[in-house]
Amino acid sequence: MFTSEIVGPHDATIRGTGKLNMVSAPALREAVLALINDERHNVVVDLSGVDFVDSSGLGALVACLKSTRQAGCDLRIAAPGKQVLMVLKLSNLDRVFPIFTSAEEAINA
Amino acid sequence: MPEHSVVFRTPPDGVDVVHAALESLWLQETTVDEMDRMMFETALIELVSNVIQHGASPTTTLCELALTADDADLTAVLVDSAPQPHIDFSPREMPDEFAESGRGLAFIQALVDDFDYRRKDDRNIWAINKHRAVTTK
Repeated sequence: MFTSEIVGPHDATIRGTGKLNMVSAPALREAVLALINDERHNVVVDLSGVDFVDSSGLGALVACLKSTRQAGCDLRIAAPGKQVLMVLKLSNLDRVFPIFTSAEEAINA
Repeated sequence: MPEHSVVFRTPPDGVDVVHAALESLWLQETTVDEMDRMMFETALIELVSNVIQHGASPTTTLCELALTADDADLTAVLVDSAPQPHIDFSPREMPDEFAESGRGLAFIQALVDDFDYRRKDDRNIWAINKHRAVTTK
């Protein structure tokens, strides 16, 4: 599940828990779209509570990245665990997403 | 040789059943390297997700999953009752980074050593096998 938190005048953090897969991917998309509509400039997806991401989850992250960039915003990934880092590297997405070790670091970057 | 079997129907069951079965296997087979566990689990979940998404059954798809671990390999055999799928099993390159779909098969091929499919008695039989990392003690 995903919860959103507004941070300051421009930013927001989405925190996920559990697994990011074909069941939960639509909820991530909805959360990011809501923040874009709310005119957030920087969206940080905090994955510290996410223990597993599959290709559907990656697809949703990519879709979210495209949406934020089309809206002139930035999407950053924070605190991916070992399995999440593994699939990011496998798909070469570690070269595409700005990845930070914590949500605070991602917000302040 | 630890082995775990689980039978499930999709719908309503989903990949959570498979995650739980793997968790049981790892609790019993405690020497499996962490990266091996992650790679095997990711590949298996991609396979099961594919079956769930494309099963094309008008009612429900019955799945039987058998997991085994020995000193050399991790193996999963999935038998499902869905119609025969139309999948190209030739080696896949990883899609472009900005692709929003299409990574599942490429993931499986990249993460495990053997990925096989055959059709028998109105059943799809999928097998994945991963050679375990050699660890020095």
